[in-house]
Amino acid sequence: MPAQPMDLLQGTLDVLVLRTLAWGSMHGYAVSRWIHERTDGVLEIEDAPLYKALHRLERAGFVSAEWGLSENNRRARYYTLTSAGRRQFKAEESAWRRYAEAVFKVLEPA
Amino acid sequence: MTARRKRLFRLPWRSARQIRDDVDEELRFHLDMRVDGLIALGHSPEAARAQAIHEFGDLDDARRYIGAVDRDIEAAQRRSDIMHDLWHDIGYATRKLRAAPAFALAAIVTLALGIGANTAIFSVVNGVLLKPLPFPQADRLVRVVYTQQGHGDAGTPMDLVDNRTRATKFVGFSVIEASTANIIRNNADAERVQGVRVGANWFDLLRVKPVVGRFFRDGEDQTGAENVVVLSEQLWRRDFSGDPSVIGTSVRINATPHTIIGVAPAEQRYPLSSELWMTKRFDARELNDGSRGARWLGWLARVKDDVPVAEASAEVTRISEAMEKQFPEVLRQRRAHLASVQEYLTGDMRKPLFIMLGAVALVLLIACANVANLMLVRATAREGEMAIRTALGAGRGRLVRQLLTESVLLSLTGALVGVGVAKLGMLQMLRRAPQSLPLVGTVTIDGRTLALTAIVALITGIVFGILPAMHAGKHDLATALRAGARGTRTRPSANRAKRTIVVAEVALAVTLLTGAGLLLHSFAKLLAVDPGFRPEGVISMKVALPGRTYDSTATRNFIRAVEERARALPGAKSVALANFIPLDGSSYGFSFTIRGRPPIRPSDQPSTEVRQVTPDFFSTMGMPVTRGRSIASSDQPGTTKVLVVNQTLAKRFFPNEDAVGQSISLGWGEDTSGELRQIVGVVGDVRSAALEDEPEPTVYVPIMQAPYSNLSILVRTNAQPSSFAAPLRALVRELDHEVPVYSVQTMEERVASSVGRQKFYATLIAIFAGVALVLSAVGLYGVIAYAVSQRTHELGVRVALGATGDRISRMVIGEGLALTAIGAVIGIVGSILAGKLITSLLFGVNATDPATIVGVIAVLGAVAAVASWLPARRAARVDPLTAMRGD
Repeated sequence: MPAQPMDLLQGTLDVLVLRTLAWGSMHGYAVSRWIHERTDGVLEIEDAPLYKALHRLERAGFVSAEWGLSENNRRARYYTLTSAGRRQFKAEESAWRRYAEAVFKVLEPA
Repeated sequence: MTARRKRLFRLPWRSARQIRDDVDEELRFHLDMRVDGLIALGHSPEAARAQAIHEFGDLDDARRYIGAVDRDIEAAQRRSDIMHDLWHDIGYATRKLRAAPAFALAAIVTLALGIGANTAIFSVVNGVLLKPLPFPQADRLVRVVYTQQGHGDAGTPMDLVDNRTRATKFVGFSVIEASTANIIRNNADAERVQGVRVGANWFDLLRVKPVVGRFFRDGEDQTGAENVVVLSEQLWRRDFSGDPSVIGTSVRINATPHTIIGVAPAEQRYPLSSELWMTKRFDARELNDGSRGARWLGWLARVKDDVPVAEASAEVTRISEAMEKQFPEVLRQRRAHLASVQEYLTGDMRKPLFIMLGAVALVLLIACANVANLMLVRATAREGEMAIRTALGAGRGRLVRQLLTESVLLSLTGALVGVGVAKLGMLQMLRRAPQSLPLVGTVTIDGRTLALTAIVALITGIVFGILPAMHAGKHDLATALRAGARGTRTRPSANRAKRTIVVAEVALAVTLLTGAGLLLHSFAKLLAVDPGFRPEGVISMKVALPGRTYDSTATRNFIRAVEERARALPGAKSVALANFIPLDGSSYGFSFTIRGRPPIRPSDQPSTEVRQVTPDFFSTMGMPVTRGRSIASSDQPGTTKVLVVNQTLAKRFFPNEDAVGQSISLGWGEDTSGELRQIVGVVGDVRSAALEDEPEPTVYVPIMQAPYSNLSILVRTNAQPSSFAAPLRALVRELDHEVPVYSVQTMEERVASSVGRQKFYATLIAIFAGVALVLSAVGLYGVIAYAVSQRTHELGVRVALGATGDRISRMVIGEGLALTAIGAVIGIVGSILAGKLITSLLFGVNATDPATIVGVIAVLGAVAAVASWLPARRAARVDPLTAMRGD
């Protein structure tokens, strides 16, 4: 029986999206599938907050968006990490690692 | 903060609807992809769709949120695009202007003149009329003004009592009375400074804090209180070296010891020129219903912060109405109302200043017209460039914006230089400003002035830029490109625009020239007025004898001593003392009655100026005695009381009889008993208040029969009158070292300074008109010269067909004069309309003065002829072969 999916911590989604886009430009559906597969369904991520995050990041200047053609020749909105987004991702990633390490230190038996 | 990826090509701006469609398309794409994926995994289409929607979450919320975010992004993008365009335009405009330095320089100098003149005049308007007086809640400070039967009237001590006891809407009232102040410090020479006597609450009403010490306390304006004085910061620094320890020490003022209690801050003086303040004390005789007729006081009051001034004004009016009921005779139709202190100080500058502001606005319009013309010429030369930019996809709006950026850049640069021009101009202007102009010393170019200059510059740039820009925006691409290859040819519409602009320019210049001409003409008329006395060779000065040490006898002795000693000075022809100096503006009027005429109610009695003079006054001033005798040295306290009247009084009140021998009773001082004075002579009129004012009825009383403490000393000399200043000063110092001589001027200087304002205004407007004339001449020259260069081919053909050089140049000059004539006609109509505005500034000249208008047309015609003759000469020399081959 699979583990009960965990609630998403505040701000986690942004860093996941930035991480995903670090691989290269992709459209929203691809970002969604990529995160889903990488987390093995442990994180229950709905698509609505994901799209909100993409547009919010665009407004913040961390990603840019352009219309392009998808694999099946349909118009799709492609997102690309900007250099500001790359810097933001690095900053958030190291913050996350420190946070996670701190949590692990507490949880691990001494 | 927003780091956006730079795009090579700008994306088209999206509308709100397009944003919504984009959001829907993105989400539809997602759902479709997910449905396809699930079907591939074996789900039925219906189940796949349901699952995809379930996985997505709240679709509507997401759509709304994303739409809002995207609209933000779009707005930011638009802002950044516009800024980017603007930077690009500014850079482009700068490069273009650098590439045409002659054009840029001409435009900037023209604009700097126009904008600078506006900045200078506005800074004066701002400093004098708009900036509030330097007191907290200065708008609550008011004057209480009285009128009786429609005429202005001063206040009495009893008015103070009435208002203080009855009014409820005021913080307080205070009297103000100008007071001579001879001040002596450390046995030095006496100095005469401007002083006032005020109520003890004066500085509380103004809400001013002392620099050092304190201000008056309650009761210090009561009879018997210690004599105290507040110094101005200026006087304190000048005469007491800014030493705080002078507080509490004693200083002799008007021969009476006063204790210095405090120093008032330099920039918060009221009255503006006051150097010291003492308290005004009323004695029981003055605070009596019997003294309601003696009016000489001024008022200041502060209205409570929460009461509208109009309400407070209604209250003092009600009080004055109630008082009339109690004293119906003496207070008949006497009314009080409140008036603005600032308007009182600057009231007579208001109109001239606004007229100056109008004049500089016209100068700026002319400058705009000139630059617009320059731009039009340039626009023609740049048609090729514009066509290419259009071909590359620049829309008309984009071109217009680009050209406006260029013109605004020019006008802002012009404004920058203009502020420098204004600064210099103001220095010169304020140095020449007559001293009598209030608040002018405080004028600076402040933030408000700079902000207005910036706005004016912006508007200016748009005004002169819009026409050429619109022209550039509409043209036939193919024609322009073809023409661009071999030099351009002006479109008729552009030529029409240029001509219209020149006509407008000439019209504006004519309006200004007429205004200047009228003011100059009226100034000349003013100078030609016969003042009624001969000012040349006469020196004048004032002394004020302190009442404490000079009773009537001492005053008589002083007068006699000055007369004797001054007469002994080598070169002195005659010496006189009096209680006034002609054209000094002082007025000292009393009502009078004529013996043998039916009695008249006191408030209806005629009034006359009263002057006390020594026997030689008329000969010293050069005033002719036309009937009877002059005042004689035998007219002494014990002898018959006599007076000499001026011709105006004689004509007005004794039209059909001989004034000499009649007796009149003056309503003043010792004569209130009804004691009569006999008229012994009639003397010529003098302009006493101002050259433009008709003479008032005046009587001259022997000063020995009515000694007066504020005296003028007048000496007619054979030599340079100004060389008498030092000996006369020394003479008075020998008589009494506590009596300072002040206001030393030759009578010619007084005549000149009495018309100082008129001269100042006339000079200013003449300068503006001169600038306007030069600018419009340059504009006319530019248009004609350009037309000639455009028509070289045509002129060549004409010469080839037999037209002589003379004929060609006549044709060109004719064209220039035709434009000028149209402009002049419009301008004269305009100036007749505008003339009404300056009528009140004119003296002896009608606003439609034909001589002035003819003069203006002559000047303008001459200038226009020269401006068109220069290009005409070039046109006449056109070589037909070169001209026709060149095309």
